[in-house]
Amino acid sequence: MALEQEFICPLPAGIHARPASALEEVVRRYTSEVTLLNRRTQRSANGKSILAMVGTDVRLGDACVFTVSGPDEREALAELSAFLRDKFPHCDAPLAPAKSAAAAPLSPCLREAGATIYRGQPVVPGIGLGCVVQFGKFSVSPALPRNGVADTAREWQQLEAALGKLDATCERRLATAKGIEAALVTVHRSIARDVDFRGSLRAAVTERQRTAAGAIEETEAQFSGMLAASGNPMLRERALDIQDICLQLLREIYGDAARAADVKLTADAVVVAESLTPGQFLALDRNFLKGLVLASAGGTSHTVILARSFNIPTLAGVPDLPGIQCAGQEVVVDAEAGALVTNLTAAARRYYVLEERRVLGRRARLKVVSARDAVTKDGQRMEIAANISTAGEAAGAFESGAEGIGLFRTEMLFLDRPAPPDEHEQFESYRTVLAAANGRPVVIRTLDVGGDKPLAYLDLPAEENPFLGRRAVRIYPEFEALFRTQIRALVRASASGKLRVMIPMIATVDEARWVRKIIGEEQQKCAAEHIAFDPAMPVGAMIEVPAAALAVEALSRELDFFSVGSNDLLQYFMAADRMNAQLAVLSNPLQPAFLRLLKWIADAARAQQKEISLCGEMGGQVRFLPLLAGMGLNKISAAAPAVAGLKAELSRLNQAACQELLKAALKCATADEVAALLEQFSAQTSMPLLETDLVIVECDAPTKEEAIKQGVDRLFVLGRTDDSLAVEDAVWRREATYSTGFGHGFAIPHCQTDAVRFNSLVLLKLKSPVAWNSLDGQPVRVVILLAIRAAQSAGTTHMQVLAKLARKIMDDDFRAELERENEPARLGAIFQKIF
Amino acid sequence: MKLVAVTACPTGIAHTYMAAAQLEKTAKKLGHTIKVETQGAMGIENELSQADVDAADAVILATDIAIEQEERFSRARKIQVPVQAALKDPEAIFAKLK
Repeated sequence: MALEQEFICPLPAGIHARPASALEEVVRRYTSEVTLLNRRTQRSANGKSILAMVGTDVRLGDACVFTVSGPDEREALAELSAFLRDKFPHCDAPLAPAKSAAAAPLSPCLREAGATIYRGQPVVPGIGLGCVVQFGKFSVSPALPRNGVADTAREWQQLEAALGKLDATCERRLATAKGIEAALVTVHRSIARDVDFRGSLRAAVTERQRTAAGAIEETEAQFSGMLAASGNPMLRERALDIQDICLQLLREIYGDAARAADVKLTADAVVVAESLTPGQFLALDRNFLKGLVLASAGGTSHTVILARSFNIPTLAGVPDLPGIQCAGQEVVVDAEAGALVTNLTAAARRYYVLEERRVLGRRARLKVVSARDAVTKDGQRMEIAANISTAGEAAGAFESGAEGIGLFRTEMLFLDRPAPPDEHEQFESYRTVLAAANGRPVVIRTLDVGGDKPLAYLDLPAEENPFLGRRAVRIYPEFEALFRTQIRALVRASASGKLRVMIPMIATVDEARWVRKIIGEEQQKCAAEHIAFDPAMPVGAMIEVPAAALAVEALSRELDFFSVGSNDLLQYFMAADRMNAQLAVLSNPLQPAFLRLLKWIADAARAQQKEISLCGEMGGQVRFLPLLAGMGLNKISAAAPAVAGLKAELSRLNQAACQELLKAALKCATADEVAALLEQFSAQTSMPLLETDLVIVECDAPTKEEAIKQGVDRLFVLGRTDDSLAVEDAVWRREATYSTGFGHGFAIPHCQTDAVRFNSLVLLKLKSPVAWNSLDGQPVRVVILLAIRAAQSAGTTHMQVLAKLARKIMDDDFRAELERENEPARLGAIFQKIF
Repeated sequence: MKLVAVTACPTGIAHTYMAAAQLEKTAKKLGHTIKVETQGAMGIENELSQADVDAADAVILATDIAIEQEERFSRARKIQVPVQAALKDPEAIFAKLK
């Protein structure tokens, strides 16, 4: 007699691959047949097939029933029921919130360029130019026969052998694959092993005399269709994995005959595809791959994650992609503004020449700073290091000017795989980073997982409140073998560089002592085995639990350094979930009490002569840097792209002034008061309104649009804005009220926006006059662009200067002087006179 | 003539002050006296008192936005023009006052 268990799906993302594989793991140990029925879709599936269960399209709130029948049905049902009740609701991490779909404003310079523009969601930033190579949908070469197999047994044998080989290949690759690649291969292996997938192939051959090609085609259509039909974007992406497997099977069986659909890049190319499998992506020659345009792909798709790791500018969510006629054409993937630009005109090409100049200009300027040591104007040293999540990011981080790796999160090595990485895999990963570091310090944080980042092989029970539950150092004693493996890999790696080990979530001295004991034991074992290691390898703690913040003195007797994890410390200290947007006021690092806590930690560490750094998001934002510098931190570690900007900002700061600022901030009662203080400080220490580099003579701009863009781009190059599109947009919004060409060949475009960091004046003397819709109808030769920081506009000295300038500009002699002079420094001096 | 004026533009960064300068320059050229109040990013500057307004033969409001303390001019003879007019052809504004 069959037994039944009803349930309502509690998972926000429904039953996709991860929950399905958790269910499959429960039932596969039993011989009974298990069937899942989704009452809403009326689809049922074999409970031992992950794919089939995924295909029933179970969404949040769907009423479902499991039917179990067979010799061990009672036991199977009991376990399944318990699983559904206790673990199932917590077996899936919640979906990341969707990015806002609002497209950034386009530069009028591009909008008016006459090219065709399709908007899309930038998922990997950058700009790429190349000829379009279109990827069709999955297809089986028409040359291959589909039907009429005489010896069906032999045909199936061949197909089964190919499946077996695929499985073996996956196994082999899993031995060396890391991170995202390992996750991908795991998914592929589960498909190759899936009972329904195999059953479908087999039935096509043995029951309908289809050839292997015919069976693969049919099965692909069946499963992809099933997944694509679900409204769930995560499931649609799994269809790509099915296609990947089917392509591999075809190649295995037919060799070159199946390769008709392959694409080979021979020149700079932009690949346009409705979808692209990770396998197809990896097969592309990345020397020629300049950009990627996908009709659909969320930020979580494996292809997008791969594109990100290889820095390929990628645009997704371009609607009606198949309808876009651009095959063979040279196009631009603009994953800065979020646009695919086809039918390139001379003006559009010019725009992208300017874009390249803008990005390279900023990079070249930062290069000078990033090559130098990070130091304040008055000589205070503060190391600026980078945070990374995979070993592969290390080399790029050092190229961006990082002086060390301040935080290597090792979770990526452990996530999304069926078993933890072994000692060798970890050792290799750590050594890769140390090699890239070339003698510079590398801080590696031990595994930080728990209820919020579940690992299948740890099988941690779900908790009411995972952030306050068993995670990081708190689970090490229970999974001692796992921890010892990581420590041993770290101890061994310590022989090849300046490695430091950092322990997450330390709250008590007992925890620190326990970790020290394990590390000591692993070091002794290595010594006994004559394995080289650094006996002085420093061991430190993340300060993210408020209790640890107040135990720095005692912890200093056990540990060598501390690093503030500002994200967690802030949320634990303020008792405010940082993912909860409604609590953003509390999750503000400028809360005076939080600043006092940071200062306390820094002072306590210094008193014990221990290094103190900060590696949370707070460290990546230049506006907070004066406060952190004022605390006298030894190091800040931030995302690699932020490093050069932090170094540049630090070189403008005066340590003594930062200390004064901090002193004042610590006396503030509210976060708003601190913010106002910071704004005031930033105004005092701002760059001058005008510098010689802001004077552009002989400016080659054929239109008003381009003149404005060139002016704004200069602000970007000089680090006065990080968002040139926003500044340009603000200028054009002002321009929309009425033209700023006030006559006599002069224009004074301007804006008030917080997208500029400092009040700025750009002077452009145009090579040839451009139409500006001026009051006197005359074209413009001299452009004075004013970009004012909105938060600083009221009553500052800059505003007085600008009011004076605006009056002065009506003076015929002043304008004549500006017209006559053509040397940037002297032009600057003419303005200085009125300032 | 004895005149007073107020200038105010949407962002208050440039045109407010340019218009003020232009009105002062033109008044001087035409032999009038003028006091110009600016309402810009700096707030109100060179503020007109009620006595200033009452003593004036006319008020020029070269403004594109609602201004503060408009009630000062409720009884005065006034002319309202866009800021641009003060930049483009200020003499035409003075001509209208004759």
